[in-house]
Amino acid sequence: MRAALVVFAKELKDALRDRRTWLVVLISSLVAGPVSLLLIAGIVSSAEESAARREVVIANAAKAPTLVNFLQRNGASVRDAPADYREELLSGRLQNAVVVIPDDFGRRLASGEPVRLEVIFDETAQRAQTAVRTTIALLQGFNREQGTQRLLARGVSPQVLQPLQIEEVNLAGSRARGAQLLFLVPWLALVGAVVGAISVAIDVTAGERERGSLEPLLMNPVSTASLVLGKWAVAASCSAAVVVLTLAGFTASMQFVRSENLAALMQFGTPEILLFLILLLPFSAMVASLNMLAATYGRSHKEAQTYASYITMIVNFVPIIPLFLTVRDAPWQLLVPALGQQTVLMRALRGEAVAAVDILLPSTIALALTAAALLLQARLLRNERIIFSR
Amino acid sequence: MIEVQQLAKSFEARVHGRRTRVTAVADVSFGAADGTITALLGPNGAGKTTTLRIIGTLVQPDAGRATVGGLDTTREALAVRAQLGMLSDARGLYARLTARENIEYYGDLRGVARAALAERLAMLAELLDMAPLLDRRTEGFSTGERMKVALARALIHDPRHLILDEPTSGLDVMSTRALRRLLDHLRGEGKCILLSSHIMPEVEQLADRIVIVAHGRSIADGTADEIRRRAGAESLEDAFVTLAYGPEGATP
Repeated sequence: MRAALVVFAKELKDALRDRRTWLVVLISSLVAGPVSLLLIAGIVSSAEESAARREVVIANAAKAPTLVNFLQRNGASVRDAPADYREELLSGRLQNAVVVIPDDFGRRLASGEPVRLEVIFDETAQRAQTAVRTTIALLQGFNREQGTQRLLARGVSPQVLQPLQIEEVNLAGSRARGAQLLFLVPWLALVGAVVGAISVAIDVTAGERERGSLEPLLMNPVSTASLVLGKWAVAASCSAAVVVLTLAGFTASMQFVRSENLAALMQFGTPEILLFLILLLPFSAMVASLNMLAATYGRSHKEAQTYASYITMIVNFVPIIPLFLTVRDAPWQLLVPALGQQTVLMRALRGEAVAAVDILLPSTIALALTAAALLLQARLLRNERIIFSR
Repeated sequence: MIEVQQLAKSFEARVHGRRTRVTAVADVSFGAADGTITALLGPNGAGKTTTLRIIGTLVQPDAGRATVGGLDTTREALAVRAQLGMLSDARGLYARLTARENIEYYGDLRGVARAALAERLAMLAELLDMAPLLDRRTEGFSTGERMKVALARALIHDPRHLILDEPTSGLDVMSTRALRRLLDHLRGEGKCILLSSHIMPEVEQLADRIVIVAHGRSIADGTADEIRRRAGAESLEDAFVTLAYGPEGATP
């Protein structure tokens, strides 16, 4: 234990003198968190703004005074489409749909012939979707009004044409709707944990092999277990530091943004921060030990980076799996490292209940994997092939 | 006292893509007494480094045994390491730490008390002529400077036994002199010193006793004079070639 403390103190000093460590810590925590949160806030507020504005963009509006009149009566403002509206839609400068009025709109409408209206939009533009739906709904309203008038003119009750009366009751609150984007918050913290561990994990394992300091180190009368323990403690601390700073970054930018939209969307107060820490610290312990284990097989920083990048890839990808699943929050998700943490943290952000087992299960698995990886590594450092092949 | 009896060790290696076993040490036996500098002399690939690694406890022999101060290197590895200082061919230092921090790290790992550590460090710095280096970060150190730091690091706990693998490789005259001065000093203290080399004049100059190793076997053992006499040769080099490769190998 004394030896492990000596190793910890030395590796910590070594890591703190490494510019790469600071770069990773600062970039991943202080920049990534706030920037992504600002982006989420931006998306949310602009989506809600355009929905609130009820703005309809029309090309050739002069030919359709009846339609313009209807839209204005229904509280929508009408804006002329720019000449190059197709490009503007594709490039995202115009986050709406464009209604194209044909030149013979007035004549056809008056003579009772069907009028072909084109509604042009970009389905991939996420922020525009609310505005697109509003525009189409308004056009259908106009359609209904015209039809009703024609039926009335012929003495037929308009109800003949409306066997159904559809009323939309959307159960998802605004919080749950935006929660799809909130996925980024725990995901960034998880990725931060991995990124924070990598540089130190590689330096204390493959780095020792590369510079030829592993063999002399192992000549000390100290068990490999205490060497591994001391080294791991530094890698895990570094990972945890990035997690804590990422959370601090989120909290700080929440204050800064002060968006009601965001506040309504995301439950991120003291209890949530504590829950993040409780779930993410064992996760940091795990990724630090796994990165070290993988990097021990590397004879150089470069080789070790390749091995460690597999772990990074898995942690990047696994939490995204639920986006492709039809079942939401299946119980098995808690058993998968990274996915378990992501699932529980998402629940917390959405304001749903988190039970004790939801915390204990992923954390226990993470700590068990940590112990296994450390034991395996302590054995690996007694392997002649690892000690001597450079 | 270091004793080695009939050591054997082979490794798995790929030769032309096929897994085969390569014998590094076939049969090596010798003893290295206290207060004596013993040299393993042999060509590259003779099994010197593997023998030293077995004595250093980091490699397990397939057969035979090695003892350091009477302790078995396999069964009592930690105790052996505690009374052994080793300068292996891997002499990596931590570039972001100063020379002093590099040396102190090993002292702390070995549980050397702070006061004793400072005293010992000052003495080694004096003997190795490296006092001005101590508080510089080791990044960019020359081969000689690195050797001095690595050697001081291996000696910080005042071990009774010292093993040096090719200690002079890459060293200039002044560094070699500093090394020789230190080894003389340690011999005077009654330490058991075992080193390996393939450079004959150097071995003749440094060592009291020589063990010739070739093809994984120890084939001759004695002072330089004894070895020359046994081979009936003028120089140690001729004696070495005769003993290692037979009389026909000796004819130029």
